[in-house]
Amino acid sequence: MSIELALCLVTLFGLAGIGTPIGYSIMLASLVYLGVGGMDLALTGEKILQGLYKSFVLLAVPLFIVAANIMNAGTISERLLNFCVAAVGRFKGGLGHVNVVASLIFSGMSGSAVADAAGIGKIIIQMMTKDGRYSGGYAAAITAASATIGPIIPPSIPMVLYALVSNASIGSLFLAGIVPGLVMGAVLMAMNTYLAGRRGFAVEEPVPLRELPRKTANAFPALLMPVILLYGIYGGVTTPTEAAAVAALYALLLAGIFYRALSIGGLYRILVDSARSSAAVGVVIGGALILNFIVVSENIPGMMSDFLTGIDVHPLTFLLCVNLLILLLGCVLDATTIILVIVPLFIPTCNALGIDLVHFGVLVVVNSMIGLITPPYGILLFVINAVTGIALKEIIKEVWAFLAVLVGALMLMIFFPGLVLFLPRLFGYGG
Amino acid sequence: MKTFVKWFTHGTEFIAATMLAAMFITFLLQIFSRYILLMPFGWTLELCLILWVWIVFFGCAFIVRENDHVTFDIFYLAAPRRIRQILALIAAGAIVVGMVISFLPTWDYIDFLKIRKTTTVRLPITNDKIPMRTIFSVYALFMIVVTLRYAWRFIDVLRNGPPDDDHELVHHDEDGPAIQEGDEVV
Repeated sequence: MSIELALCLVTLFGLAGIGTPIGYSIMLASLVYLGVGGMDLALTGEKILQGLYKSFVLLAVPLFIVAANIMNAGTISERLLNFCVAAVGRFKGGLGHVNVVASLIFSGMSGSAVADAAGIGKIIIQMMTKDGRYSGGYAAAITAASATIGPIIPPSIPMVLYALVSNASIGSLFLAGIVPGLVMGAVLMAMNTYLAGRRGFAVEEPVPLRELPRKTANAFPALLMPVILLYGIYGGVTTPTEAAAVAALYALLLAGIFYRALSIGGLYRILVDSARSSAAVGVVIGGALILNFIVVSENIPGMMSDFLTGIDVHPLTFLLCVNLLILLLGCVLDATTIILVIVPLFIPTCNALGIDLVHFGVLVVVNSMIGLITPPYGILLFVINAVTGIALKEIIKEVWAFLAVLVGALMLMIFFPGLVLFLPRLFGYGG
Repeated sequence: MKTFVKWFTHGTEFIAATMLAAMFITFLLQIFSRYILLMPFGWTLELCLILWVWIVFFGCAFIVRENDHVTFDIFYLAAPRRIRQILALIAAGAIVVGMVISFLPTWDYIDFLKIRKTTTVRLPITNDKIPMRTIFSVYALFMIVVTLRYAWRFIDVLRNGPPDDDHELVHHDEDGPAIQEGDEVV
């Protein structure tokens, strides 16, 4: 390792560790690298600007943020929930199942786990805790766990970020997420059934079947959204990036005109807040671009592959180690930071070991989404705590069971790549 | 002074929101031109990229607050107030120093780009292509504003101690949009 790289890493971890914004920490660390290495300090700005200006896929990020925020502001979430209550509320542990199914559907419309938890989550937790049928902790824990599915089923903001650092195809990544997302939903529902049986949770008053058509009709336009998105992308009408704009437009039409639930003032608020969070993420993305430059100029890919051919590591061992590492990092780091800063270090090794980058991407995204609910630092736990006021301690106490089955689902995906790669291959992905 | 700050905040928020709305509309135009008119406009993609660069750096300069940033703040939050003050001073000081020493070289690079122009986007009336210097100058603006903001923060933290509300996670007003901060985008 060169001295400039060592100093760069010390600066990066030192500054980021004391709470300096990650994006700025990376910029400063890269200045140290350039300065000590005797290179032009302007390279930081140059790489960031050129990178952002070239990366067409990134345009999806602000648009997906807008779409997610619009869907939460309109009454789209409520309508979806009513439909789910009518459909799966009748089974044992009913509202728990409603929670998971609603998340599955919502995840086909939004690309963000936080949007899922803050929107649908808030309403369903109110439903679950009414009359004390479920404890606040349980309701919050299953909501947090099911919200992690949000970015696994397309669309997905984290997968767009992964596509940027790995050059894997977004279209294939999106397709590859569908089955794993359903598997995650299934294991959560299984755990919910088990716990409902053991703790004797109340069964809901079944909604009469003759009401189902009306509730379906009421939610139908919203249910159509995943179909439109998938058809748009795989029918060749839009690129995955353009699909983000279509999603936002469709959400806007639904919430604004069809359901009449969004005012001009509300839309303005959404635009301001979406611009704010896009900018905050944009500067971390910029940081990832300059880090990428450093990784390449230090020839880390070459060193990695030399090292690995030296010790002859099995791809599966490598996958298990990386996933364990990400799981541990997920306890303390943001998913954005993991995907943009940590994951790029492993991409060259994946190439050297012949690990499929789409498979790896899904594993990484699933894993970092699990990281969103691992204590002590899990943004989903915080968001639910913020919107419902349920104590973090209560949520964390109940989240372990769901965490365990989600890690189980992750293991399945590691050992059976076919689970992930089946759909993209069906659509002609060559990996 | 207070009215000025309020007015200024509203103004910059308005500009950022307008740029995001413009980007959204441009995207829709692009899809419309390609699939309905069957003749793509060509300039839409580059315009979106220009807007994206501007949203990021204009946004970080003016509308992103300290607690909106993606940060790793476990240690910071766990530290006692006195230590927090020192950490906040180091962070702010480092940002100011870094931005100041890299400003001139970066400006040289941006200024050099006056010879390069946009490939497809043209100004509406004069029909001239826009020099890249103009487009990337938002990065210089970003550097200046961030330097001033963190210099101000440095002085403020030195005088009054670390602010209590930054890095705070629970601060959402009840019915705001779900995603408001950088951390929440995933």
